Amino acid sequence: MNPTACYFVTTIVDENTEIAVGLRRRDPELLDHLIEKYQHRLLRYLLYLTGSRELAEDFFQDTWIRVLERGRQYDGRHEFSTWLFTIARNLVIDHVRRKQPVSFDSLTTDSDSVPPFDIADIRTPSAFDDTVQREQNQQISAGMLHIAVEYRETLVLRFQEGMSLEEIADVTGAPLGTVKSRIYRGLSALEPWLKGARL
Amino acid sequence: MNTDPNELKQHERARLMIALSVGLGQGSSRTTLSHSGISNSDDVWLSSHLESCLPCREFAENSRKTIRSLRGIPIATTGSLVSSTQMRVRQRTQELERQRERFWVVCTCVAAVTLSSAVSAALLWHAFEWMGQRARLSPPVWEGGFVVVYLAPAVLAGIVLLTNGTFFADHSPPFQNDPNAN
Repeated sequence: MNPTACYFVTTIVDENTEIAVGLRRRDPELLDHLIEKYQHRLLRYLLYLTGSRELAEDFFQDTWIRVLERGRQYDGRHEFSTWLFTIARNLVIDHVRRKQPVSFDSLTTDSDSVPPFDIADIRTPSAFDDTVQREQNQQISAGMLHIAVEYRETLVLRFQEGMSLEEIADVTGAPLGTVKSRIYRGLSALEPWLKGARL
Repeated sequence: MNTDPNELKQHERARLMIALSVGLGQGSSRTTLSHSGISNSDDVWLSSHLESCLPCREFAENSRKTIRSLRGIPIATTGSLVSSTQMRVRQRTQELERQRERFWVVCTCVAAVTLSSAVSAALLWHAFEWMGQRARLSPPVWEGGFVVVYLAPAVLAGIVLLTNGTFFADHSPPFQNDPNAN
């Protein structure tokens, strides 16, 4: 490992260790800081997982309460975000099981549903490009709510959270091969939605 | 696209590699296998395959656009959500702190009661032994007296609790009829 990479790895490990120590102490300042730091990432993950803004916000709060209560279980050896998303995921799964003990697929929304988030106002060089991009974003966000929740979750973790394949496997509890397959199938499932967006 | 099984496998392989490597930063995607999921030799093979395969090139381009769109969807929390979460977490922290303090109070009480009962049992035993010898009683008699006196407070407390109702009976919510039961 080169010195720069070594520096970054050491910094990340130190940060995770500090978080682990703070969580063991139930340090309120640390928790406030973590809530602020991970607010957008956690909410985005929960929105895609549940397909509902209201549910996602409830789970957002419950996740942090669970982080507080189970903070002693975080050892600091893994990335904090991986542990955080695992807690959030387990809460959603528990909720789904309590509600209807069938499957995770029940989180796939109806065809007429509206995405629980706004489409980006992306500034591109020309008005045409801007329109195309907005159209694509709308189609993809709609498509995301129609593909299987396992694909949706994996795509979010991979391309929005930038997680490695191993980290995604940790969060989802799926084997590495399954994670790879879900990324491929998820992108393939979104392809028709992208094509539908073309002007 | 050709329907030859071998060629189909090649396209499948290429698309899987595209899915695993597309959308990652150049620095990270090409240097480590664990992050990108494809090795350097696979990367070379993929590049040569893409040069000759239009559908796979199209898939790669669509995947890039899909990922760009995914990243272009902004999802922001509201300030009220963050502040209410922080407030809930602080309240829960205080609750847990109170629970922890109560736990230590209970532990201290249990330790004190255990210690004092051990000391008082030894003192009471010697007192009964002395009185038994003074009154010229046989050991089983004063030993029986010790047992009765030592256990009497606990037995009395148990009787009082049973006649007046226990703490749990007084504090548990009353049974309610299920409105849906019919």
